[in-house]
Amino acid sequence: MRIALVSDVHANLEALEAVLNHIESENTDTICSLGDVVGYGSDPSACLELVDKICQIKLIGNHDYYALGRESSNDYSPLAKISTEWTKKTLTDKDVSILDSFTMEEVIEGIHLVHASPFKPQEFHYILTHKDAADAFPNCKTNLCFMGHTHVPVIFNEKPGQPPRQRVGHDFVPQPDCKYLINVGSVGQPRDNDPRASYVVYDTETRDVCYHRIEYDIKSAQRKMEEAELPEMLIERLAVGK
Amino acid sequence: MAEILVKFEDKLIERIVTEKRRLSIGRTTDNDIVLENRGVSRKHAMIEFNENAAVIIDNESLNGTFVNNRKISEEVLRDSDVISIGKYSLIYKTETSQEADEAINFDGTMVLNTKAQRKLLENDRVDRQIIEKYGGSVLLGEENADFLEFKLDREVTTIGKAKFVHVKAKGFFLAGIQAKIVQENNNFSLVNLGKAKKTKLNGEPVSRAHLKNGDIITIGKSTFKFVEGSK
Repeated sequence: MRIALVSDVHANLEALEAVLNHIESENTDTICSLGDVVGYGSDPSACLELVDKICQIKLIGNHDYYALGRESSNDYSPLAKISTEWTKKTLTDKDVSILDSFTMEEVIEGIHLVHASPFKPQEFHYILTHKDAADAFPNCKTNLCFMGHTHVPVIFNEKPGQPPRQRVGHDFVPQPDCKYLINVGSVGQPRDNDPRASYVVYDTETRDVCYHRIEYDIKSAQRKMEEAELPEMLIERLAVGK
Repeated sequence: MAEILVKFEDKLIERIVTEKRRLSIGRTTDNDIVLENRGVSRKHAMIEFNENAAVIIDNESLNGTFVNNRKISEEVLRDSDVISIGKYSLIYKTETSQEADEAINFDGTMVLNTKAQRKLLENDRVDRQIIEKYGGSVLLGEENADFLEFKLDREVTTIGKAKFVHVKAKGFFLAGIQAKIVQENNNFSLVNLGKAKKTKLNGEPVSRAHLKNGDIITIGKSTFKFVEGSK
């Protein structure tokens, strides 16, 4: 089974469409959204409808959570707050019911899916360092756990008796005696200095984890954000991937 | 302390700093440098550090180990040498820096039949033929050069615009002798003698640098490739 894993679309319709086009050519059997479909970008409704229609698994991210008016124990940035307020105003009742159907975590085909961290998923902890990963590993329900949230494609792995490792996201074949936390990067707002949309395909038979970086029409996405009068910094970061 | 920069298709993915005397490289997780890719054998190669040198040893791997684009079985590593294993390149640093038709063989390693792997093998074969022909290191004329192959058998080989230099280069504002290649104990270095930006090594302006097999030297508009003879 070939599984496409997308995360952090952040209401960027141009990036989402480009990624979905590419997924079509990848012969996948299922598409999983790891959360944060809304927030930051100018097309929350269109992205929600598309994700709802095309993805078989839909997880809730912190931005989706806030857009539903729910509280999280984690503070979030002023920019995120501004875009959340904007998003809340834009969402229709139908959009809200779609968001409300999203789940916190799933296990399918021997892989564990979360938005941020398998450690208390509803608290949306960031996994940025070895230490964060070390706290998260005991909560992994399978040897492979995929997530998003930080917008940075990265792979952590842990093997008893060995120091933990952290590497930039790249194509690899997970080894059976090791646990992995795999961040698939962000579709709609990458932050690893590469502005191209990021997503991953995992093949359950060959065990290949394959990262894809997809170019999309960044200028159009930025223009629509300007029209929506979203914060300038959020518009500019798309072009540089920061 | 030695450092190894691990790249996957030109993207830096990991930095390994070690004090170990021996580093194993392979696909399985019991190696010190784990490269989880099908083109890599379970126990692919080994780097051994002794008093004054580091040596890489290929463990009869299926797809081979390359140092500076040359297939090796055992090779002494020098600073900034590039080890290629499958789609990975490992850059060896003596000091810590600041900064598909594939078949599976018995241990599960796939025979790499990718464009990149074929190119590596083909370049290696051509380089070996040239070295054999000249019995030493050679400069290949790649662009705007008046030769295809030039044997580097002098202690000093001059490059520039002047009539008397050994290797003629083209381009505006080049010095008569823009650069020289110096040979010391079978080691070659490129030394800039003219305008700084007119002498480049692998695209970067250079004042003095040790030459490695496969290095691209650009003098003004002329480009040469350095093919290192066996030692």
